[in-house]
Amino acid sequence: MQKIEVVLKNEAGLHARPASQFVREANRYKSEIHILKDDIRYNAKSIMSILSSGVEEGSKFIIQAEGEDEKEAVKALQALVDNNFGEQENET
Amino acid sequence: MFNFLKHTTTKKLWIKAPFDGQIIQLEQVPDKVFAQKMVGDGIAINPRGEWVTSPVEGKIVQIFPTCHALGIKTNEGIEVLIHLGIETVKLKGKGFMPLVEKGQAVCVGDRLMRVDWDYIRENAESTISPIIITNGSKVRKMQVLQYGAITAGQDILMITLSND
Repeated sequence: MQKIEVVLKNEAGLHARPASQFVREANRYKSEIHILKDDIRYNAKSIMSILSSGVEEGSKFIIQAEGEDEKEAVKALQALVDNNFGEQENET
Repeated sequence: MFNFLKHTTTKKLWIKAPFDGQIIQLEQVPDKVFAQKMVGDGIAINPRGEWVTSPVEGKIVQIFPTCHALGIKTNEGIEVLIHLGIETVKLKGKGFMPLVEKGQAVCVGDRLMRVDWDYIRENAESTISPIIITNGSKVRKMQVLQYGAITAGQDILMITLSND
């Protein structure tokens, strides 16, 4: 199993747009992928689950993957969060 | 032994309006995340009244921490997201009073939440509320049954389930 802790920089939290990007990326991998926040597990492949995690700006969460492509999955999702989902600072 | 079940007609599911209001195409929702169907396909309603009632029979799978959205899984396995207003995550729960809990079974028409739309109108981007199927892979076809004015409980979407 692979896991890594990340910090969300996104201003409005893991809201619909970044959440849908995150879920789309997660679904490219065969591994079981979850995020952990406050010890609660959310399925990274379900938009409903990720949206309801309520991850806010500045809060930490863990990306965890288990399966044949777990390394690639964690790396790709970490990059997405670290790059702030490619969001522009001035986007409304 | 139950092979004959596979030959039954395709399953259909009707989604009802969770509130009175005006039906709007998803493409016209003033938030591109919904308009571009990034969260999933569905419909939106500009609501009236104060109650949000269940559009399906199923189970509450998610109530968002800020109460601005909730998810219901139908007995057929379809996940319905009701997102109350646009940019309402920023209200931090103000204006929303949930009446159900996660895990609770609900019937069509059960009251799920009380919403102060006047407050939402003044403090958020819009009251327009997308109603989205978030696990579209289980949907073969989605048909919008009505546009314009709608009353809570009326059929708004007909879902044809994929056979798998």
